Amino acid sequence: MSAVADTHSQEHHHGPAKGISRWLLTTNHKDIGSMYLMFSFAMFLLGGSMAMVIRAELFQPGLQIVQPEFFNQMTTMHGLIMVFGAVMPAFVGLANWMLPLMIGAPDMALPRMNNWSFWLLPCAFLILVSTLFMQGGAPNFGWTFYAPLSTTYGPPSTTFFIFAVHIMGVSSIMGAINVIATILNMRAPGMTLMKMPLFVWTWLITAFLLIAVMPVLAGVVTMMLMDINFGTSFFDASGGGDPVLFQHVFWFFGHPEVYIMILPAFGAISHIVAAFSRKPLFGYASMVYAVGAIALLSFVVWAHHMFTVGIPLAGQLFFMYATMLIAVPTGVKVFNWVTTMFRGSLSFEAPMLFAVAFIIL
Amino acid sequence: MRVHAKRAVALAAGLLSPAVVVADWTMNMTPGVTGTSNQIFSLHMTILWICVAIGVVVFGVMFWSIFAHRKSQGAKPANFHENTVVEILWTIIPFAILVAMAIPATATLVEMYDTTESEVDIKITGYQWRWQYEYINEDFGYFSSLSTPRDQIENRQAKGENYLLEVDNPLVIPVGKKVRFLLTANDVIHSWWVPEFGVKKDAIPGFINETWTRVDEPGIYRGQCTELCGKDHGFMPVVVEAVPEEEYNAWVAEQREAAEKERQLTQKDWTLEELMERGEKAYATACAACHQADGSGAPPAFPALKGSPIATGDMTAHIDIVVNGKSGTAMQAFGNQLSEVDLAAVITYERNAWGNNTGDMVTPKEIFDYKNQQ
Repeated sequence: MSAVADTHSQEHHHGPAKGISRWLLTTNHKDIGSMYLMFSFAMFLLGGSMAMVIRAELFQPGLQIVQPEFFNQMTTMHGLIMVFGAVMPAFVGLANWMLPLMIGAPDMALPRMNNWSFWLLPCAFLILVSTLFMQGGAPNFGWTFYAPLSTTYGPPSTTFFIFAVHIMGVSSIMGAINVIATILNMRAPGMTLMKMPLFVWTWLITAFLLIAVMPVLAGVVTMMLMDINFGTSFFDASGGGDPVLFQHVFWFFGHPEVYIMILPAFGAISHIVAAFSRKPLFGYASMVYAVGAIALLSFVVWAHHMFTVGIPLAGQLFFMYATMLIAVPTGVKVFNWVTTMFRGSLSFEAPMLFAVAFIIL
Repeated sequence: MRVHAKRAVALAAGLLSPAVVVADWTMNMTPGVTGTSNQIFSLHMTILWICVAIGVVVFGVMFWSIFAHRKSQGAKPANFHENTVVEILWTIIPFAILVAMAIPATATLVEMYDTTESEVDIKITGYQWRWQYEYINEDFGYFSSLSTPRDQIENRQAKGENYLLEVDNPLVIPVGKKVRFLLTANDVIHSWWVPEFGVKKDAIPGFINETWTRVDEPGIYRGQCTELCGKDHGFMPVVVEAVPEEEYNAWVAEQREAAEKERQLTQKDWTLEELMERGEKAYATACAACHQADGSGAPPAFPALKGSPIATGDMTAHIDIVVNGKSGTAMQAFGNQLSEVDLAAVITYERNAWGNNTGDMVTPKEIFDYKNQQ
């Protein structure tokens, strides 16, 4: 019998796991948020170096550094990496970090799915970036990959590009499910929806947008896959299809996608401006409704990316009017931010400088 | 009320704003040389001034706060945080401004869509990587390819004034007449854009788009392909020469005659030397972009023709691949793009150039017969 208590076995249960397992197997929202942010930064540097290649080549007229074939690969990969590898993971990283803290929850609703959502991304981008080294080169048809340039005339690596997009889509959809489940179910007692911090609101709405449109992206790249490998002609007129169908389906995803990329930022700006003006955000309810209106309207404006495609006049007019309409709730947000600053007590640390510049731009 | 007055003045100023505001800094859109382009420019300027006015007000308030409401200067924060009346006002007023903008914009769009009662009709086909112009009521057509020398592009020679904006055969249209364009493409989506006309329309394979223009001033107008279409997307410019009506009619008559002569050349008896000479030129225009001037190509996408089994082997297979293309690859069907003379010349050239030396020759008549038996 020992008079000394056995404390050794108790030490295993404190603190995070050691070594690589900590990161591979974590279910902790702060660790996962950090991984998203680190991944996003790495992708930002990679996509950024491609932008530098573009800029170096365009610095003077004439071909100096790269041939047109490779230049087109640089513009395409720069776009894909920045949109899907830098911006989107960065905001998911912020969501993972901030949402549980902001609503008083111990973690996200589905911590293991959270981990898998992250680790899918390095896999997807390994596939995407490896296309640069395949025969025929990387995708070279622009980040919007219109058919038939991307189907009939695309390089062999296009199929791998499609695979990578599918994997990224799964990651985003699962992440969005997690966000909605967390926000709707795990708020601290007394926090009604209209008492939530604005960043939480903007991410809630963003998550709905993600679930609505990522499957549409999956649909369009699957149709591409079919056209390239299985003899269908979704986008080929000679088989009864239509290249413009591609554009409609792509932009039905593409337009909400750009709002997916900006709405979390809108939430962050509301927090920063209020904090550094030492004044409550002006018009909380209007801000929430404005984000909701923007999100709803974002579903009915997609053809403003197709104004020269030859859609009928009535369609052209409708999409023009709807696009102009989005300016109204967006304007409401800008006015509210400025009014938050007005008669506040302002100081201009880095976050406030970024926020003010964001509003001006 | 001051805000409203400011906006009203801005609106009036915008509407009356002359093209003088353009200045020579090339920072603004061009008013252009058509009614459409001028309308687009006016709309642009009106909306610009409205946005400037709104910007002045909004950023004015913001900059005032940045100046006068600083903590470092002792400002104490107020506590107000909502006001329903204000929210309603700054929803309704922007909405009204948008309606005001939408009215002239709608009028312009309706006019841009009206392609009826045209006086000249031209079919424009986008190819990788050049344009084809067919005067469909006049029975002639031609290709328009970049004419900037390779030496300039690769920095061996100083760049000319219209670097990457010059072609061998520009589109020629009459001034003052409504010209309707029918646009399509042979391979991928291209887009035909001439900024000074206010015209931009996609050229989509398998479909026909319509647009129109009426040019007020004679001159040479330059534009570009504006839909990514592959490696030479930046190397297939649009050049249009707008000429007075009599000059246009004379030019059309000349072109019709030349086209008729071309058609008759099919019947003539050609020698190997004549075909080789013609073939070298046709090859340079139609084939060298992918297969290179020395026949070495860029495998695997663009096979080498020098020493190629097709160019030195079975003649029928060679004719077939040039006339009908190879589906699933970038090799287009040139049967519809080149005349029988050019097809015969190019195939003859490919079979004898770069050391291929088969001694073979194919005549335009043989190509004509081949096409007809398909």
